[in-house]
Amino acid sequence: MTDKRWLLKWLLGVWLAVVVLGAFFYAPTARGFKGESARIVFFHVPQAWVAVLAFCVNLIASLRFLRTRDPIDDARAASAAGLGLLFSVLATVTGSLFAKVMWGSFWNWDPREVSIAILLLIYAAYFALRQAVPDEERRGSLSAAYAVLAFVTMPFLVFVVPRIYWSLHPDTLLNARGSIDMESRMVQVLVASLVGFTGLFSWLYTLSVRLARIRLRRQQGVEG
Amino acid sequence: MLSEAMAVLGKELTGELRSRVALNAIGLFALTTLTAVAYQIGPYRIAAEDRPHLLAALLWIILFFAATSGLARVFVKEEDAHTAKTLRLAARPEAVLLGKLLFNLLLLVALEVFIVPLYCVLMAYEVKGVAGLVLVLALGSLALAAVATIVAAIISRASGSGTLFAVLTVPLALPLLVILIQGTRAAAESPDVAAVWPALRAIVSLAGVTLIASAYLFPVVWHD
Repeated sequence: MTDKRWLLKWLLGVWLAVVVLGAFFYAPTARGFKGESARIVFFHVPQAWVAVLAFCVNLIASLRFLRTRDPIDDARAASAAGLGLLFSVLATVTGSLFAKVMWGSFWNWDPREVSIAILLLIYAAYFALRQAVPDEERRGSLSAAYAVLAFVTMPFLVFVVPRIYWSLHPDTLLNARGSIDMESRMVQVLVASLVGFTGLFSWLYTLSVRLARIRLRRQQGVEG
Repeated sequence: MLSEAMAVLGKELTGELRSRVALNAIGLFALTTLTAVAYQIGPYRIAAEDRPHLLAALLWIILFFAATSGLARVFVKEEDAHTAKTLRLAARPEAVLLGKLLFNLLLLVALEVFIVPLYCVLMAYEVKGVAGLVLVLALGSLALAAVATIVAAIISRASGSGTLFAVLTVPLALPLLVILIQGTRAAAESPDVAAVWPALRAIVSLAGVTLIASAYLFPVVWHD
């Protein structure tokens, strides 16, 4: 088991290194963008994807906690939210850098920027709530309830609001016409990066949950 | 269940008519903000082409932040007065939620009846579609009351609940706010009720999912 983990960890490191090289040397320069700015897509899109994935993991763990009341499920939800917050910040920063190069300003209140800003606010509110509840079980159930509420309002933010306001944001990978307008080598690097970032999230998430499990065991040992 | 909910609503109304704390907080907050906006901006400082959007946005900012100043009280006061335990014994969770939600809805409607005509007069806001605006206000109040009531239930169980309410409500209510502003703008520009249908559909969906999620989550939040 330990050997397998060690191998997976190294494989992930090599995979991400290849993705970085591929992003700069294998993928061609995208047309219609200033200079090499479009290469940020290979990092920005996977970061935004992981932020959303973490949001989903947080929801599943929260729903499990509401059913099982197992503290480890609460720890899973909090770990996913912590990583979601980290990757949302990264996606916001990389998006802002791209916006500065392409549109001349770091922040334009584009609907996509609003979506990520609200995702950040939700994660921040989730942790503010956790810190305000001293009792552990109550903290778990209240933050799980908030996570579920936040999740059900998210589709409106992602699908309804961008249709109300005109967006500068380039098409998403799979655009509204249901096709992928991207050179095949770019698609290969982007997909490889998505896989790599998902692996990175899984690794960090597993580490965080293992750490929480050790803390819980120690706590139970002290209480016992 | 309905009779229990009506009893909870009756208790809220009697308590509020005696103390008028929530009504005074919301009403005076809105009035103060409206005075500041009307004094600083007034009817003529906004360019004609910006009026439809800016006046709708300002109206909802006043209503929304006034609402956040008072809607949390519905649950916070039960914890402060140590009456929550009695209420838990006296009524089913669904009845408590429905009663408190109806009370918050009435509070919002009272606020709108008072503030919206005053806003239209002070800001010279000409609304062509009064029926459309009434529909947006009515359904918007329902959606806002639904979000505010469940968040109030969550934060009443945490410490520092006064500041937490705004922190937790703003990210959840922002998509709603964007849709409400769009709907109000459409109502102001067109006498045809059909102009506000897209916004109304989104508001009803948002209110629906929030109410369904609240019905599922409230017993957990209330009994923990």
